[in-house]
Amino acid sequence: MRTLDPQSLSKHVDRLYRAAWALCGSREDAEDLVQETFARVLSRPRVLRGDDELYYLMRVLRNTFLTSLRTASRRPVTAAAIEDAVAADPRPTNRPEQAYEAQEVYATIAQLPDNFRLAIVAVDVLGLSYREAARALHVREATLTTRLFRARKQVAERLAPEPPRREGRREENNAGGVMFTEGAP
Amino acid sequence: MSERPPQSESEIVELVRSIDVPAPRELHRRIDALIAERAPAARRPAAPLRLGLAGALALAVIAVALVVGLSGGGGGSALTLRSAVALTLRSPTMPAPTQNPHNATELAADVEGVAFPYWEDSFGWRAAGARVDRLGGRKVTTVFYARGHGQWIGYAIVAGAAPQIGGGIVREREGTSYRFSSVDGASVVTWLREGHLCVVAGHGVDEAALMALASWRERGTLTA
Repeated sequence: MRTLDPQSLSKHVDRLYRAAWALCGSREDAEDLVQETFARVLSRPRVLRGDDELYYLMRVLRNTFLTSLRTASRRPVTAAAIEDAVAADPRPTNRPEQAYEAQEVYATIAQLPDNFRLAIVAVDVLGLSYREAARALHVREATLTTRLFRARKQVAERLAPEPPRREGRREENNAGGVMFTEGAP
Repeated sequence: MSERPPQSESEIVELVRSIDVPAPRELHRRIDALIAERAPAARRPAAPLRLGLAGALALAVIAVALVVGLSGGGGGSALTLRSAVALTLRSPTMPAPTQNPHNATELAADVEGVAFPYWEDSFGWRAAGARVDRLGGRKVTTVFYARGHGQWIGYAIVAGAAPQIGGGIVREREGTSYRFSSVDGASVVTWLREGHLCVVAGHGVDEAALMALASWRERGTLTA
């Protein structure tokens, strides 16, 4: 039994961010989810009973994610200005091809049913053992194994190329976004 | 994505596990701030300076601002909502201004006479740092405020005549139009104070809180 050392948590931010991204399907929501997860973990001293920090973080991430799903429908949605919609994201990486791949893969995972999503995130994205993942998700190991198999199968199916089809051109709607124009107001 | 999409279970596992995109630096910074809040003995950022050195500090802020401004710090990209908001989400590069000794509702920092508010006593948001950048040839001064469990917002005031502002969700209060929007997951409010464009943005701060902060006028000493 030991007390969780807050200073030791910063090394998990990258991995937790990827897990949150795969759960949410969007980088912005992932950032919020990670920040909320850390805020919860750090809200009071925590005692780990022989558990790995990452396992503990996954447990809190899961709970925070499920809570956010319940409240998401109450959030107002605001359209962004056209400049915001089309500008390249300046942030994440100096390897754009991997960022693109991550976006595609994580967006696919995020479309899975919640239980499948959590299973593949815990094991394949976060790197927990089957035993740790099952405990973090409050399921039996056999259940986790089944969910994981189905989740991976569905990801493979969704990543498979669709037969080509003709599509019309779609334009972004920038109504509702704030824009600046030089000149006197 | 590679030429052939992964098909087998082991290929999917390999693909998912191979992704090692790092978290944005901004997120790292926010988490570090959260951790620092919980571990006071650790490397907490320098406390906002409440040592009665307001005058000296204001001079220091102005001096650094001049250096950054003259050296073109922050680049010269166009003034857009996204670029202005981006500044409010960056890290501070200067110490926080202190409370104005002559006006307890203001900080000892302003842009062409438009002062940054002192929110700590009324809202719990304490000044935590500042930075100065240039956007579209204009100087943009940002003061950062922190509160509670790592909450963080940036308040930017743009020098010079304000551009025209349009769009967003508009709320009127006491004759001032406050425009709310969302950029990169951050909640944003923009409005004019004495003809200067002001932008306040932050993650996890709702519209009501932004409105309360943006429209706060303590005993009439802050003018919208």
